[in-house]
Amino acid sequence: MVPGMLMMGAKDRLLPPSVPFRFFASAVVLHVAGWGAVLLGADTLPGFQGGLGPALAGLHLITLGVLGMTAMGAAFQMLPVATRRQLGPLWACRLTWWLYTPGVVVLSLGMGAEHVGAMHAGGWLTVAGLSLFGVLVGRNLLQVSDLPGVTRHAWIALASLLGLAVLGLLLVSDVGVGFLDRRGAVAAAHAVLAGYGFMGNLALGFSYVLVPMFVLSQGVPDAVGRQSATLSAVALVLAVAGLVLGQGMVAVAGGVVGLVAIGLHLRALLAVLESRMRKRLEPFFRLVRLAWILLPVSVVLGMAVAVGGAPELSAPLWGWLLVFGWLLTFVTGILQRIMPFLASMHSGGASGRPVLMSKLVAERPLAVHAVCHGAALALGVVGLMAGSVPVIRAAAALGLVGALAFALSAFLVLSRLIAQERAAQPSKA
Amino acid sequence: MLMQTQTGSLLHQDHMATIESLQNLEEFLGRQRGAPVLDETVKAFLAALGGTLRQEVEKHFGFEENHLFPEFTRRGETGIVMMLTMEHRTILPLALRVADLADAAVAAGAFGEQDWRDFKDAGVELVEREIFHIQKEEMGLLAAISALVDGDTDVRLAQVYRETVG
Repeated sequence: MVPGMLMMGAKDRLLPPSVPFRFFASAVVLHVAGWGAVLLGADTLPGFQGGLGPALAGLHLITLGVLGMTAMGAAFQMLPVATRRQLGPLWACRLTWWLYTPGVVVLSLGMGAEHVGAMHAGGWLTVAGLSLFGVLVGRNLLQVSDLPGVTRHAWIALASLLGLAVLGLLLVSDVGVGFLDRRGAVAAAHAVLAGYGFMGNLALGFSYVLVPMFVLSQGVPDAVGRQSATLSAVALVLAVAGLVLGQGMVAVAGGVVGLVAIGLHLRALLAVLESRMRKRLEPFFRLVRLAWILLPVSVVLGMAVAVGGAPELSAPLWGWLLVFGWLLTFVTGILQRIMPFLASMHSGGASGRPVLMSKLVAERPLAVHAVCHGAALALGVVGLMAGSVPVIRAAAALGLVGALAFALSAFLVLSRLIAQERAAQPSKA
Repeated sequence: MLMQTQTGSLLHQDHMATIESLQNLEEFLGRQRGAPVLDETVKAFLAALGGTLRQEVEKHFGFEENHLFPEFTRRGETGIVMMLTMEHRTILPLALRVADLADAAVAAGAFGEQDWRDFKDAGVELVEREIFHIQKEEMGLLAAISALVDGDTDVRLAQVYRETVG
């Protein structure tokens, strides 16, 4: 998070905590809603390759509601800090949330209830929020010439955002009309741009800043960041073109290039861990490391989908490992670390002594979340492979329990912060 | 972590030494259920700890506040200076308290019960606050030095650092 830089030109670049925390709080709530919707739609998940209903709503509550929401909150806080350039007026950051959050909720409700009007309204609101986010981030990146490892990934994320929004609106407009000849292929391209293009590249780029800071290690060389970004871009172009044009082997080639990019990225981050000054790895790294394993696994499964290998099995497994495996695992790992980190950063106004992070973090609910999330992932894979609705239902129920535990931990961070700040205030005579 | 400057590189080396001391302290505190018996090994550890904390924290902070931060202030970057200086005000007394308690225990040959509780409480808090502080300096301050301090100033600051901190 580059906290020291936070204070360089602080009046311009330090956002009030209400900006990032409104996104993080929304992500925490929609995390619960997402797993709840997956539980409701569990009976449709075996062989799932699309179609309206609670399962699709759950998928979008997780992708847009948790992953996108967290990415926005983190980007608004991190980018002006990392790039040392202004991001945009506060009102625009707040307006992004006001457009995006109801958009995601209405879109998901529309998908769950199969209500086309709600899907259109929610979809356009969501795209409006994403567009404003894209403009703000793009303006920031245009001012930056250094940090190429981070900014190139961010540019690819923005380009992917444009593509996924266009394809998403096409998919919503197609419901009940059917003008898309190859709806499944378009949906797969939409998923690639969302999962690997937008979220994936933000995760890769921000990891180059966050991971070295958390473990106190040397940063990742810019050359590695440039290479992983370039390869990611090539991989995305090949994968999306291959899927949309029905050229499976081109998409597979994209997957191979993507695996090389991931290999470079993970090798660099493992070197960061090897050379770290802080010996003890914090508990959130359990989730981050699991996500690092699941990222290449999801790409391999995606390649199977691209060549049409047992789509009723490979497609839902790919979606499961991409969204719930790699991305949700990574994002909940990072989110549980940056919420108390930021809370501590913003504390200490009354006493001048920031609240210790250890006084804010609720270890037990986070441990419950980690266990439930891991078990839900594993059971989900078993359930999808066996085509067993009860097993998938059990997986979703475990995911829901984990999400509730995660929400409790987030609530405790905020309530403990408030209590500590009140206790630190000088008593009035 | 950006270390293109001599000054940044020297501060980074100091941070590494401090982190090592803090991790040793953290492991030491984690191993004890009550006040430890001060055998020769523990005495040597505590004696070294007291010296190290004074050297690494007091002199390091002194260099930053007296020589580095004025350069930032001159360039209008008062925010980072205020934040880090406020943290110094919290951390330095804690570090000196831990060092004093360690020295007193070595001199007396044992920790009193209350002294041990104070040492442990202050030590745990010191580890967390100082590591958080170093995270900020490693990711923020060193990059800020690269961005703000010109080559001649960097050479001069590095020389001052070698003379005042060692």
